[in-house]
Amino acid sequence: VNGDTAADRRIHPATIALRFVKEVPSTVLALPAGLAFISDLGIGRALLVAAVMAIVMLTLNWLAWSRFRYGVGEREIVIESGVLSRTRRSIPFDRIQDVDIEQPLLARLVGLAKVRIETGGAGRDEGLLDSVTLAEANRLRAVVRASHGAAPSALAPAPAAARPLFEMDLQRVLLFGLFNFSLAFIAGIFAALQTFDDWLPFDLYDWLAAFDRSYADRFTPAAVLALLLLAALLGLAAGMLRTLSRDYGFRLTAEGGRFRRERGLFTRSEVVISKKRLQLALVETGLVRRRLGWFGLSFQTLGSGADAGGLQSAAPFGRKAEVAPILEEANGLRMAEAGEMIPVSSRHVLRILAALPVLLLTLVVAAALWKPWVLLILLALPLFVAFAARARRFHRYRLEDRILFVARGLWRQRLWIVPIANVQAVSLSRSPLQRCLGLATLAFDTAGASLLNTVRIVDLRIGPARELADEVAAYSSGRKSGTDR
Amino acid sequence: MRTHALLAALLLILAASTAQAILLRTFGDQLAVPRGLVMLALLPLLFYLVFISPGRRYRAWGYNMADSELQLRRGVWTQVHTTVPLDRVQHIDISQGPLERMFEVCRLVLHTAGTMHSLVVLPGLDRNTAERMRDEIRARIGREPE
Repeated sequence: VNGDTAADRRIHPATIALRFVKEVPSTVLALPAGLAFISDLGIGRALLVAAVMAIVMLTLNWLAWSRFRYGVGEREIVIESGVLSRTRRSIPFDRIQDVDIEQPLLARLVGLAKVRIETGGAGRDEGLLDSVTLAEANRLRAVVRASHGAAPSALAPAPAAARPLFEMDLQRVLLFGLFNFSLAFIAGIFAALQTFDDWLPFDLYDWLAAFDRSYADRFTPAAVLALLLLAALLGLAAGMLRTLSRDYGFRLTAEGGRFRRERGLFTRSEVVISKKRLQLALVETGLVRRRLGWFGLSFQTLGSGADAGGLQSAAPFGRKAEVAPILEEANGLRMAEAGEMIPVSSRHVLRILAALPVLLLTLVVAAALWKPWVLLILLALPLFVAFAARARRFHRYRLEDRILFVARGLWRQRLWIVPIANVQAVSLSRSPLQRCLGLATLAFDTAGASLLNTVRIVDLRIGPARELADEVAAYSSGRKSGTDR
Repeated sequence: MRTHALLAALLLILAASTAQAILLRTFGDQLAVPRGLVMLALLPLLFYLVFISPGRRYRAWGYNMADSELQLRRGVWTQVHTTVPLDRVQHIDISQGPLERMFEVCRLVLHTAGTMHSLVVLPGLDRNTAERMRDEIRARIGREPE
């Protein structure tokens, strides 16, 4: 590889304006506003400061732009950046997994796109061209692809033709939104109110207290019901909007060794999921969703570009018949029916119920210290017991054909599909309580997993747990790989 | 499991006694009046921390280097048994803190690509064992490229 590729191209000049617009709220507006707030700056002076800030920001952006160059050589892409300390980064084509193109709303309006050069590395901004014209983005991608096709490297060959796998029309997206009920924004509003308390023309707490005084006797059940209904409606609307902006026009296609996903209403993003980097699949549904036959599929991948917890959504809301072909496409994975999976030990129920005394004690103490009506929660105890009994039925596992299936969750039902060649380590742990009951928890560590999203089988009997751990470790360490390699 | 009982236990005792000193200092300052009383109440706990727990913790630790995997076992209350297939090891460190240098022990750190167990630490080995294990694992990684 020669290091002489000329970095002879610049990103689009409109980027200066784009970045500037993006920075306006935080610098040009917020800082002078802050200054005006702290000192007794007049409005005129504040405007002056804002103008100076604007000029400074524009100049800095222009400098950054003028010092940022990139070039495409025969075997590499070169990026030079930095105003004071210059960095020259060379990314060989061999190392490029793919070229992602993303179009945030502003960039889209002026026909620009962000190009993200995906390598195996963890750094997200390793090869970020922000922003170039859409045509240039497509050209870059074509060049990289062509090089992969011409010189077959460790990567998948250039795709023959993109084959659509999954699409969501507007109706589907809206339906999905119904299930994405979200109350987070209410918390958000309150947090914002609290933060800006000092700025508001009224005092929030006085106001609440007044409300409390004047309406205390009017808290009829009907009023409470109406309030709850209102909150529910707002939550529903928020969920719809969020889903719409994120998943509008969702499209998943398969091309050779990778999946390509496009989605988004305002920010149109295009992400590539390489089948080689795919670690496991997660099929998610809910109590109601399963009844209606809706499932969501996501993949856990190595490296950068993940939405949340290393998971990439592949089909957020689809029928089983739609999800299955995508799984099949993903290195021949499949779903397992609940019927063919083994439930965890029946003592799982006992273990969950063992939390009861603690819960009871907390409640009683809370009632004694605070308000006696807390004890009313005790009425919900049968529900808790029922929940424990049901939870076991939904926690199942199965190891077959070198694929480990783990299903878990009552309200949010998840099915992990893990090719055991991807298991990095197996750990078997037993708390004192589990030892009393002869149970164990198995955890399977995979690459790219988040701590919250580890594949776990909780409360297996110790015997089967040991066997399963051994078997998985044996396959995974290659002791038994002779049969199919 | 090879025996480095004394060394590891000493290490743990040292750690525990430091913790104890900190405990003593904080509690002594805060509660001037019933000083003796609080200490009395804490005594069993401290006794456990210093004299019983290190031994038990040490005994709970164990490892087994099998042909193709490393097995680790640890934990007094919650017992954890971890299996790391050697193929999955990305790279290996041997590390030694100042205390560990004092007692001439070191720890073997295996890095895997996973998240939960991206670092698998095996403490309290003597230098020779650690180096030998490292070489074994390294050979194993080298033997099977992909």
